[in-house]
Amino acid sequence: MNTELAVLLIWGTVVGLDLVSVAQTMIARPLVAGTVAGLILGDPVAGATVGVILELFALDVMPVGAVRYPDYGVGTVAAAATAAHAPGAIGTGIAVCVGLAVAYLGEHSIRLIRNWNTNDVQRLKKKLDEGDPHVIVRIHLRGLIRDALRSFGLTAIGLLMALAVYRWFPVALPGTVLVTVVVMGAALGAAAGGIVHAVGRGPGLRWFAVGLTLGVIWVVIA
Amino acid sequence: MNPPRCRTWFRTLLVQASFNYERMIGVGWAFAIEPLLRTLPGGVGGERYLKAMRRATQFFNSHPYMAGMAIGAVAKAEHEGLPDETIRRLRHALIGPLGSVGDRLIWAGTLPVSVAAGLIVTARVSPIAGALTLLVMYNGVHFAIRSWALHAGWTEGKQVSRALTAKGIQRGLRVLGPLAALLAGLALPVLGSWLSSGFSVGAQSSMVAVAVVALMFSWWVVPTFGGLRFGLAAAAIALAVGGIW
Repeated sequence: MNTELAVLLIWGTVVGLDLVSVAQTMIARPLVAGTVAGLILGDPVAGATVGVILELFALDVMPVGAVRYPDYGVGTVAAAATAAHAPGAIGTGIAVCVGLAVAYLGEHSIRLIRNWNTNDVQRLKKKLDEGDPHVIVRIHLRGLIRDALRSFGLTAIGLLMALAVYRWFPVALPGTVLVTVVVMGAALGAAAGGIVHAVGRGPGLRWFAVGLTLGVIWVVIA
Repeated sequence: MNPPRCRTWFRTLLVQASFNYERMIGVGWAFAIEPLLRTLPGGVGGERYLKAMRRATQFFNSHPYMAGMAIGAVAKAEHEGLPDETIRRLRHALIGPLGSVGDRLIWAGTLPVSVAAGLIVTARVSPIAGALTLLVMYNGVHFAIRSWALHAGWTEGKQVSRALTAKGIQRGLRVLGPLAALLAGLALPVLGSWLSSGFSVGAQSSMVAVAVVALMFSWWVVPTFGGLRFGLAAAAIALAVGGIW
């Protein structure tokens, strides 16, 4: 258990760094982060299930410009830790709630470190404007270290939340199925809303409608 | 790629690490271009190197994968010894187009296409295959664009706008948007069916009802509310109702 938590902590930190600061190879996407977290915990289906639900929420966000976006990757690691080994779909809804809460905290933590980076730039403005390469490296590395610490701290908070839910939340609570149904519906609606916003009312919307129709036919036939 | 360009390429992977609200990715941009400026006449610490570094630290923002194009083009212009004002204008002029093309090509195109494909494969084949599909599809395009951008910037120099109007890019912009919309539409019913398998018909109907409410909410009622906040609010209500139940 301790080894699994340590590996999850490392995985969460890597995922958090991938979101903005390092490479953006999309291991921070909930589908990937959740599946890997599930594999670490020995329950890949639970990890993938919360990953898919949080991925649907993440489809609502387009990370353009300086937009603030939730840290769904670290949220998914925490959600996978909550959902792993829970009986059936009962734990899924609660786990996604944990994931959403961590993602929300992540959004604010990103804003915080960007403010700290801004303070650095303002404080070292003179040397920066002189083109001093050492100052550039210093500011840049500080930003990187801050993001690593942010990701580590956020993962630790997420895992503590998962442990708290695992230990104290009555998993057999009547109504956990209701929570699961609601978060799954909200995720599907959020994804559809995000796509509709992104494609606009032009031909993109028609393509989306065509896809939706084909998807329904596929589900009915299969 | 020669060693300085190789070093710059790796540094572009970290271009957003010091993102700030004053110069956006300006500091990261300077960090990435620095290896290419070391070979300017006079070397590190020389007059041209310092002048170029002073320019490099100013405000810059674009799509992170496309930043390499501006880095290559400006570094080439610095090596060609173009006038200060021309280099400043070139750097500034690239901000808008690189942001716009990158956002459409990646965030509104490649990413939703890869995610939708990954989700469909997850539901129909296996979660591991789904995650791999997403990573392979996305990063195939991602790393190709990063490498092409730096190469095109360095090759074209101040004529770099020609690269942005290349046929491949224009075709990508035309095709990826509709493809993303089509695949995302296809993925939603498939995932809805996968997620709700094992639930009763009543639970499945409730899920569809919540999805419709969420869509209407985000589309008409409060478009800026966002999926996360709607999800948190819906989950809080469901937890309260579930607790009482």
